[in-house]
Amino acid sequence: MSPKAAPTPENKAAVDKVSFYSAWCKRCGNCVAFCPRKALGHDEWGYPVLADPERCTTCGLCEMLCPDFALSVGEAPAQPGAAAVPKGSRVAPTTSPERLAPEPAPKENGHG
Amino acid sequence: MPPVHRSVVYGWLRHDKKFPHVWCPGCGLGILLGSLLRALSQSGLDKNQVVLVSGIGCSGRLPVYVDVGSVHTTHGRALTFATGIKLAKPELTVITVMGDGDATAIGGNHLIHAARRNLDIKTVIINNQTYGMTGGQYSPTTPLGAKATTAPYGHIEPSFDISALSATAGASFVARSTVYHVTQLDQLLGQLIAKPGFGVVEVLSPCHTNFGRQNRLGSQVDMMLEFKKRGVRVERWQKLGPQEREGRYPLGVLVDRQQPSFDDSYQAMAAQAAALRREKQP
Repeated sequence: MSPKAAPTPENKAAVDKVSFYSAWCKRCGNCVAFCPRKALGHDEWGYPVLADPERCTTCGLCEMLCPDFALSVGEAPAQPGAAAVPKGSRVAPTTSPERLAPEPAPKENGHG
Repeated sequence: MPPVHRSVVYGWLRHDKKFPHVWCPGCGLGILLGSLLRALSQSGLDKNQVVLVSGIGCSGRLPVYVDVGSVHTTHGRALTFATGIKLAKPELTVITVMGDGDATAIGGNHLIHAARRNLDIKTVIINNQTYGMTGGQYSPTTPLGAKATTAPYGHIEPSFDISALSATAGASFVARSTVYHVTQLDQLLGQLIAKPGFGVVEVLSPCHTNFGRQNRLGSQVDMMLEFKKRGVRVERWQKLGPQEREGRYPLGVLVDRQQPSFDDSYQAMAAQAAALRREKQP
């Protein structure tokens, strides 16, 4: 299963346990190596996948040990960079939106 | 305690910085950054109340990614800039992030005197036992016998114990953890932020790109498993004999003491001086 593939209805519940963001992943292997239940595995390109969703207890250790914020446990938050680039931010037009962190929540006084 | 999830960390990242960040794959600095952001969001501080100060090195890049007041200063001088910021604006929470070379070699003098003065600055020292950014030269924390670019036959100088050094110099709060013990690290950083006075958290981190490669320690996973093997909780450490302590180190809160901080003394002195001045004026 490629991490970039869209989840099919039958594996959606399993995919929702851990969400991967391959654009931010450097394939260091921390998440796979330190999963206490050995639920994660590598795909053919070395990106992590939830190989055994039954074993995942959503403990969150992979998320905490990920140096790149490239995976999250539990309900999937919005895809990084999914929000449009705000006006006035110093972003080059060539910058790929998926490489940007999302905007801070609106209540958090406007920085940027 | 419910786990604090990524959306929380996201809110503290600068959205106009390019990700993934500059650090090597598997670098402990990313884990420390996540841990620090979780601790900050749990502390309930507003972004405008926090200032992150860093020096030069891989660790110097850390405040750049965080959406708080951040200052990237000259080599070893993070604590001096932080001192100025704290005295000018005592209401701010000032956190410095330094590497081992930055904090104990180039900025070693500032570290001991900031600890002695006990100004309310929170210091996170990430110790990877080498100068990672410049290519693996030995630093003051490189262990005896380890190889480095500038010590190809093995290092012949004994190393600093950063926690013991800060504790002896007079810091109010000293703790040690590793990036492998990430849940403990979250708690210790939370305690550091809450504690008034000068606090130091030493974080052991793998540099598999330079230190690990030169000493054949394997990948960052192998180096982090070594932290697991060698790190001992401070409660258990006190029961160990000298032979069992060989090659191991205590993790957890090493020093936690109440003592007058420089801010309070400074404010009291300023009030006293102002009163004296009023008396002299007719």
